Amino acid sequence: MRSAKNIHYLQIDHRVKRLFQEKGVVILPSAEAWQKFTWSKKYFLKKPKEGYFIWIKKQIDFPLFACISIASKNIQQELGNLLVVEKNLNISLRGTCNTLKKNLCGIHKAEGKIVLKENSSLNYEHIHSWHREDIVLPNYEFLLEKNSKLDYTYKNLFTPKKLKIKTILNLLEEASCNLKMVADCNFTETEIIDTLVLKEKGASGQIQLRLVGGKNSKILAHSQILARAPCKGHLDCQGLLIDKSSSISLVPELICKNKQSQITHEASIGKIEEEQLNYLRMRGLNEKEAINLIINGFLGI
Amino acid sequence: MLSRQIKIKLVFVRMKKLEIKKLKVRANRREILKGIDLKINRGETQALLGPNASGKSTLAQVILGNPKYKVTQGEIFFESRDITKFPPEKRAKLGIALAWQSPPVIKGVKLSRLLKEISRKEIEISDGKELLKREVNLDFSGGEKKISELLQVLVLNPKLVIFDEIDSGLDLKRLEKVAKIIKKELVAKKVSVLLITHSGEILRFLKPKVTNVMINGKLICKQKNFRKVLRTIKKYGYEKCKKHTLSPN
Repeated sequence: MRSAKNIHYLQIDHRVKRLFQEKGVVILPSAEAWQKFTWSKKYFLKKPKEGYFIWIKKQIDFPLFACISIASKNIQQELGNLLVVEKNLNISLRGTCNTLKKNLCGIHKAEGKIVLKENSSLNYEHIHSWHREDIVLPNYEFLLEKNSKLDYTYKNLFTPKKLKIKTILNLLEEASCNLKMVADCNFTETEIIDTLVLKEKGASGQIQLRLVGGKNSKILAHSQILARAPCKGHLDCQGLLIDKSSSISLVPELICKNKQSQITHEASIGKIEEEQLNYLRMRGLNEKEAINLIINGFLGI
Repeated sequence: MLSRQIKIKLVFVRMKKLEIKKLKVRANRREILKGIDLKINRGETQALLGPNASGKSTLAQVILGNPKYKVTQGEIFFESRDITKFPPEKRAKLGIALAWQSPPVIKGVKLSRLLKEISRKEIEISDGKELLKREVNLDFSGGEKKISELLQVLVLNPKLVIFDEIDSGLDLKRLEKVAKIIKKELVAKKVSVLLITHSGEILRFLKPKVTNVMINGKLICKQKNFRKVLRTIKKYGYEKCKKHTLSPN
């Protein structure tokens, strides 16, 4: 975990432990922002109880860090997060959500909105790390205004008991996005729902899923691209099933409402080939090390 | 006198890197190796020639412990240890390495990362630097695969290396370069080498001490003069090796 000194927003359980302000950036608990900035109300789905508000008004040349953790038993977080990147800015954000130890039985619910104004770009790496007893239900909506660009990577290498993550991306004129979701699933029921809505002319986007079905996991991923204007989109869903106790269902869906749009998809679920395993074992890696290397390669981590 | 005899015997035992005794192997209900006997000493280079599907690559895979193949009879000794039942990683750690003929793709894993994971020795890489950033064996040409295999073998700091068709898919210039590296990094350092080859191209650069010929899962002969073997094969075919020119030594 990152040192707390580098974190701009740190929340543990329901308490904000650290708020570090940078020049040109407003960082507040979302409940406070709701009161202070009337305009923010149009973005929050409802009055937030907890969570972060990050408003980036000027260019910064370092990444922002937000961290939301659960450290006590039976905590139920209900977050309302909002991130707004103003016009022409080029921003990096690293976000982490986790439970700090096992047997906390935490519930992490999040409603988040990310707004990229005209000509802005965001590189967002979102890392989740949970334990077997947790329930995690994030729901994020991205709005990409004209000519904005998003590079979003969601990584979940330690899955909770139940994960239901919903992501909607709305792209306006000439906006582009690359959404990559990576999960190494063990002892979990995971549902991933992604929707990419290409609303206006010239919008383009790609959804990439890399899902590993480890021990006792049930994975359902439903990815959809909806093309409403002349635009381009691609879905790339891949699963790797490595344990007989698991299952993966990939449901790619393309909906085209404009004859000039071009949307495509590919989906596959494979297994680790014996030949790959033997090859790596003949290089001196034991079976577990060889499997880990293959999984990491597949997940691109 | 007795102690001298024991000493001589010990030196002899220590010299033997690999010894295969009466090895029979099955896969998919078919007997592939039908009683192989093979000895390779420390620092010795040997060749194994044979037509397609004669069992050469199977022998290499079995020496490395590929669980796909079932040893139904015989033993494999490495440095006097019976390794017949050892898993592949244990054999690799003992110092046996194999350069594969057709290595599999490891998607998403760059060659530099694989080398880092398996490395037991730092090597200076002059050839193949451009491959380091690429995913292992993905879209590699035939020649690139050979270079990648050679790099992997070298970082393992092996005592015995089996090269399975290292000369196929290499042009003459590349082949000479590869042979030079094998000579400098392995042969000169007393590493034992078994060259499995269909064409025999590489033999004139590495001049094996013993050349074996395998047909239909059996070693039909051994010969010190590899040129003689190649000539016979060229003139009469593999089947005639035993009959026409070769005598077991």
